[in-house]
Amino acid sequence: VLHSTRLLHTSQQCSAPVPPLPEKGGEVRHGLIPEEFFQFLYPKTGVTGPYMLGTGLLLYLLSKEIYVVNHETVASACILAVIIYAVKKFGSDVAAFADKLNEEKVASALAVKNEAIKDLETAIEQEKKEQWRAEGHSFLFDAKRNNVAMLLETNYRERLMTVYSEVKKRLDYQVAMQNLKRQKEQDHMIQWVEKSVVQSITPQQQKESIAKCILDLKALSRSAQAAA
Amino acid sequence: MASRRAAIKAMDWAAFAERVPANQKAMFNALKTRSDSLSARLAALPEKPPAIDWAHYKATVAKAGMVDEFQKKFSALKVPEPVDTQTAKIDAQEKEAAKSSAEYIQASKARIVQYEQQLQKLKSMIPFDQMTLEDFQEAFPETKLDKEKYPFWPHKPIADL
Repeated sequence: VLHSTRLLHTSQQCSAPVPPLPEKGGEVRHGLIPEEFFQFLYPKTGVTGPYMLGTGLLLYLLSKEIYVVNHETVASACILAVIIYAVKKFGSDVAAFADKLNEEKVASALAVKNEAIKDLETAIEQEKKEQWRAEGHSFLFDAKRNNVAMLLETNYRERLMTVYSEVKKRLDYQVAMQNLKRQKEQDHMIQWVEKSVVQSITPQQQKESIAKCILDLKALSRSAQAAA
Repeated sequence: MASRRAAIKAMDWAAFAERVPANQKAMFNALKTRSDSLSARLAALPEKPPAIDWAHYKATVAKAGMVDEFQKKFSALKVPEPVDTQTAKIDAQEKEAAKSSAEYIQASKARIVQYEQQLQKLKSMIPFDQMTLEDFQEAFPETKLDKEKYPFWPHKPIADL
């Protein structure tokens, strides 16, 4: 079928983008004669028309010797046979290989384009994120101001504490001094009293107290023996 | 007192941490540790020192008038508040930072516009298998061969092959 959708440069219009090439070429019969010819002759001569025409034409050419059969005919027949065999056997493989080459080219170009698109999109994302980040600069300064305020407050409280502790230390020192003096006086007095008492014990009194102690001990030992 | 109490704002460290870019994380951590140590120090100190028990001292200390003198001087004493020198500087810094960040955001927006343009161009391109060579060279002008400068094949310096 002739692809009537493709413009044949009949007018100055050019439709861009160029419409894609059709997947398959026009239909042919026997690899040579387009299908349109058979369709063209079908209404007048039916299905066998073009074949009759072909056969008649061939016989006419041969019999009237318009086409002379010579050694080149044989050569061409052999060559044609080989060519037709080769195409029939390897045609599809070669076509597939060529298609693959083209596919690869297109695929690599497409990959490059897709990657470029992805990179641009991530770049846009990053920029937006950086903008959001930059907006957070107020946090930093809040933190700094907080730090300064905390330092000031700490300093003030430390000063109060210093005042308090100093005053308390002084008062406590006074109290402690007093207590110490009191204690020293007491100790000294006690010692002095003891010393004077010891001094006042005369030897006579000492002998008397020792004798009394011995008597007491004896009494105690007697009462202990009685108890045991 | 009240003026300084209000100065310490509640800091949302989590939100702040989110906004820190990776290459400034170390500075952020240093700032955070300093802030935390300061707040720890602050919390360790009581707001007011405990009251001195004047009655007890009056009863115990023998020296007459000493305790009274101390008490008078103590209540008359005003501890000066430390002067705030840095807040003004910090405010100035903040203005600077606001300005520079606004500039950065402007530049960033311009870049985004550029990127969007290119993205638009790429997205609206026809698929490669419907392009002719001319269409391709129109879309990617860098592939166009300069036939005036290099009239002979391969139309580009050999080193570029």
